[in-house]
Amino acid sequence: MRDQVDEIRARGGELVIVGNGSPNFAAAFREDFGLDGPLLVDPELRAYRAAGLRRGRVELLSPRLPRNALRALRSGSRQTGVQGDPWQLGGVFVIRPDWELTYRYTSREAGDHPPVGEILAALERDAEPISEVSATPDAQRWLGRALSRIVDPFIVSSFDRTGFRIHRLAFEAQDLDVDLSDKRCLISGANSGIGYETALALADLGAEVVLLCRNRERGEQAAQQIREQTGNARVFLELLDVSNLDSVRAAAARVSSGPVDVLIHNAGVLPDERFETDDGIELTLATHLVGPFLLTRLLQGNLEKSPDGRVIWVSSGGMYTRRLNLEDPNWSERDYDGVVAYAETKRAQVVLSELWAEALRGSSVVVNAMHPGWADTPSVKSSLPRFHRLTRNILRTPAEGADTVVWLAARLRARQSTGCFFFDREERRTHLLPFTRESEADRRALWELCERLSAEPSR
Amino acid sequence: MRTVKKLSGIELSDWQGERVRLEALWKERPVVLVFIRHFG
Repeated sequence: MRDQVDEIRARGGELVIVGNGSPNFAAAFREDFGLDGPLLVDPELRAYRAAGLRRGRVELLSPRLPRNALRALRSGSRQTGVQGDPWQLGGVFVIRPDWELTYRYTSREAGDHPPVGEILAALERDAEPISEVSATPDAQRWLGRALSRIVDPFIVSSFDRTGFRIHRLAFEAQDLDVDLSDKRCLISGANSGIGYETALALADLGAEVVLLCRNRERGEQAAQQIREQTGNARVFLELLDVSNLDSVRAAAARVSSGPVDVLIHNAGVLPDERFETDDGIELTLATHLVGPFLLTRLLQGNLEKSPDGRVIWVSSGGMYTRRLNLEDPNWSERDYDGVVAYAETKRAQVVLSELWAEALRGSSVVVNAMHPGWADTPSVKSSLPRFHRLTRNILRTPAEGADTVVWLAARLRARQSTGCFFFDREERRTHLLPFTRESEADRRALWELCERLSAEPSR
Repeated sequence: MRTVKKLSGIELSDWQGERVRLEALWKERPVVLVFIRHFG
């Protein structure tokens, strides 16, 4: 160890050790190995996570050595060379003063050793920086597009996880190589499923993330989990029941004290029976349309102040089955059918997204909608148990479902499209069936309905 | 976000309890940052 430190210093570098224990252990470790250089402690694993030594790998790191291991370390380590071997590690990184990374090594198994020669070579003046994200090869993109043309006409093989794997071939890896540390992102329904995965991914890209959730306990738990997994402390909870207009007004008043760069309408419901909110609005209508409409309106000023404001509507592939319907949207006359109510309001979200894009055209804000495909989320399992049973082996993971939401929120140069509908990072048609096209009058009526239902009651 | 950028703003304690901002580590010279699995 001592020799290796000398070799590093001979090349103008310094060795810095980061461990996950307490300062006491660090002092002992330092003494034991005769280290005179910097030794840092990271009991919360913040640097470990930032270095990508997290999730799966963190489990290898976190079980603390029992106290008597210190004794073993002191007495036996130099003989056995196992427990106290400083090269038995999580990872090695060589970083230069120009902030280039010239070496990266992450161990997969206990006992992995990086070749010391490579580390020393990375310290040389002419060492090549590592490109962390390389461009997707053209051939792979071509294959992805070619395969997509084959599977996309068939809903099942496109919306399912096979579809994701094929579409992913054409994804540009560099699109998500972004630093969102100057962005504040709001996500409704963020404590589970697609909303949770979106929040997690955006926090991982450095954004300040506000989870808008109904339930304090579940919301706090999700926020805590995201902070732990990403090492990003700027993950907060705001209580919001988007189906309740008073709650929307209160939450908007609280969050609008800060900037809003990205607003993601993700919260959704699929009820078995007709349920009317305190505002007298049917639940899917309130949750998917009226509440998000009001929230967008109340945060419009904040979004317009952002140099790159984005509003994203998480719709559903189920919307393809329905036409925009403004006859009895509150289900006062019809026999209630939750699946129809869901699909109709999801169709209306796509239209409403286009209407907002038009309303905000000329501002810095872009508005787009997407559908996640068929993902295995807690809501699908509880709301569509039969669909879930039939399809669970082909469903996407929630993270795969969230990918396009993350991409719409994070990619550079989003300004080139607004009022569009996306699936797996590609713009898609909003109609697959001839009878689902709506009239211009119905589009206007949808906007008026949302305005009327979200208006402050005259007291 | 790139690893170096992510690491740069993190502050950790050194073995004597002094706070160190990680970007200071590579300000003057290249650094070999070793994350070990054990101690503690």
